[in-house]
Amino acid sequence: MAGSRVDLKVVLLGKEYGGKTSLVERYLHDRFHGDVPYQNTIGAAFGAKKVEIGGKMITMGIWDTAGSERYEAMSRIYYRGAKAACILADLTDYTSFERTRFWVNELKTNEEHCKIYLSGTKYDLVENDKKNRKVDYHMTTDFADEIHAQVMETSSKTGYHIKELFQKIAEDFVDDPSNLEIKEPNTLNMYESAYKKKFCC
Amino acid sequence: MTSKKKKGFHVDESELLCKNGCGYYGNPGWQGFCSKCYREVYQKAKDAQLESDSLRKQRLAALQGPAVTANGETTLKFNKFEEKRKQHQAPKAKTVKTLFKKGSASPNKEVPHPWTGKRQPSIESEKAASDFIEFLNTLRKPAAQDITKQCKALIDRLQDQYELSVEEQSDIVQDFYQNMGERLQTHSAFKGASAEQYETMMEHMEKYMITRLYKILFCPPTCDDEQKDLAIQNRIRRLHWISAEMLDADIDSTKPSVIDYIEKAQTDIIEMNSGRSPIDKLLCIVRCSKNIFQVLNISRGQPASADDFLPVLIYIVLKANPPQLHSNIQYITRFANPNKLNQGEVGYYFTNLCCAVTFIENLDAQSLSMSQEEYDSYMSGEVIPAGTKFGEPICEGLRLMYANLATLDELRIRQDRLRENALSLQQEIKDFRDSVVKTVQDVLTTKPFIIQQPRMPANLDEENAAESSLLPPPLKPEVVAK
Repeated sequence: MAGSRVDLKVVLLGKEYGGKTSLVERYLHDRFHGDVPYQNTIGAAFGAKKVEIGGKMITMGIWDTAGSERYEAMSRIYYRGAKAACILADLTDYTSFERTRFWVNELKTNEEHCKIYLSGTKYDLVENDKKNRKVDYHMTTDFADEIHAQVMETSSKTGYHIKELFQKIAEDFVDDPSNLEIKEPNTLNMYESAYKKKFCC
Repeated sequence: MTSKKKKGFHVDESELLCKNGCGYYGNPGWQGFCSKCYREVYQKAKDAQLESDSLRKQRLAALQGPAVTANGETTLKFNKFEEKRKQHQAPKAKTVKTLFKKGSASPNKEVPHPWTGKRQPSIESEKAASDFIEFLNTLRKPAAQDITKQCKALIDRLQDQYELSVEEQSDIVQDFYQNMGERLQTHSAFKGASAEQYETMMEHMEKYMITRLYKILFCPPTCDDEQKDLAIQNRIRRLHWISAEMLDADIDSTKPSVIDYIEKAQTDIIEMNSGRSPIDKLLCIVRCSKNIFQVLNISRGQPASADDFLPVLIYIVLKANPPQLHSNIQYITRFANPNKLNQGEVGYYFTNLCCAVTFIENLDAQSLSMSQEEYDSYMSGEVIPAGTKFGEPICEGLRLMYANLATLDELRIRQDRLRENALSLQQEIKDFRDSVVKTVQDVLTTKPFIIQQPRMPANLDEENAAESSLLPPPLKPEVVAK
């Protein structure tokens, strides 16, 4: 399967205006919308990036989702087939951290093969002024341990931990043998049977 | 007559005689009468039936207004259409198949159909075939042959087994994609092709096959897609009152370019129905989405996220009410290449569309953040939302008129302001002139202007001219001593 494309679907979940778009912008184009007014992109809802991990080219598709509560019922349509989910919590907004629990439960019940990554966003705001921090560092790590997830505090403004986060996602994806190899024996078998069928009719 | 008592093979002779009791033998085919009596009875019944039918028709026509008959007609037509479709299923599969054996170069010269009403030589599938052949010509021969063989096998298979359920058809097609994907990787005929080439091959195959099979696969009579289409269409119609603000869609509909892009997006989503292959349909969705991003870019001045995108997509779907929405989505889900559908930009936009439809199906007062009473009153049509200026679904001409009126109003205000300003400027000029004149006058009165004689340049000699005459004449030199 050397020349084949491997696709990795990553969904971003999080309360609306919790920094999902900025995260995508920073990762894909390495910029932050506070810096320069950009006209070229028409939308930041979907992005794809090629990453090479251990000699494998992986196309990472990043899916932004609508975080508003009124679309909660549909969120499972988004993360269907996703291999990784990035749940964002605004470090300056405690309610956004509370909302992460909802998505974690959703994912655990509906998409068990999806790896969960917690990300505390807007780190730049709490870095210098501790008063802004509404979500305690240990709170997030404890929660992450509880649900067996990875956790990282990021800042789209400074680029802090952004690359690392996605790199980690891609590496974990490649390291997980179930993502790459299980397919083959299955498809071969089906191929055989289907091939025979074609001849008999 | 038909309910004979099953007591062995013995049949009472009286049961065989004509029911009329004329003494001749009757026949179950003539409903137990003898041929003569049957004709008499039947003729009478038929006449009576005809008479009452025509009477009832007349009465109906007299009773019902034109609106009601129109309504009746449409349902009638629809039923007929349904029947036709169902009848059509069986003969078609055979005719198409026989033709297909004549060769793939002229695949769609079908024998005339048993029903003549809406036979159309499917231009789309002819075009798909020629495109496909063109594409095959770019490939090496063994590869092209193998692809043709595989595609033919699948088309034959699906056309042969027209009694399959949609799910089975879908499974067959999906299996095919998977096997073909594997085959391209492993088969010797395809060695050395790049990943992009594999992809285009898959795309072309999908496009060609599904377009050819469109009539069998799209909204087949074996499933309830059609009812669901109608259901969602009606649902959207009942939700006509929803405005962009209710959905929190960030649309600045005062800008003409925004309206332009909204219209484009609506056209794209409606066009989805006319595409034949899943790829074509998906591309329509992508175009629609791109236009929505344009709308958001212009309205907000910065790139939009999913939080902004989804509401506008819902709004567009509600306003466009795309035909056969459910069928189209099902068709794409069933027969598109899953690699494309689950990943990539195309998949993303399609997922969003599915979300939008689900949202519309489950929409209630809470999802519009309004009270139940408010919602009910909108639903029952008691209250019509204010804000026709926001492009509510009045007709296009009216909307344009309102827009133009608004522009004219604005222009009038501007013109008034301009005139006002001009007048006030004129006044100001006048005032200024007056004030200048007044100041000058004032100054003149307080400091009268007296013209003094200019001083003449003093001529010393002249001044003394009179005196000089008094002067003794200048001394003359004289010789004093000789």
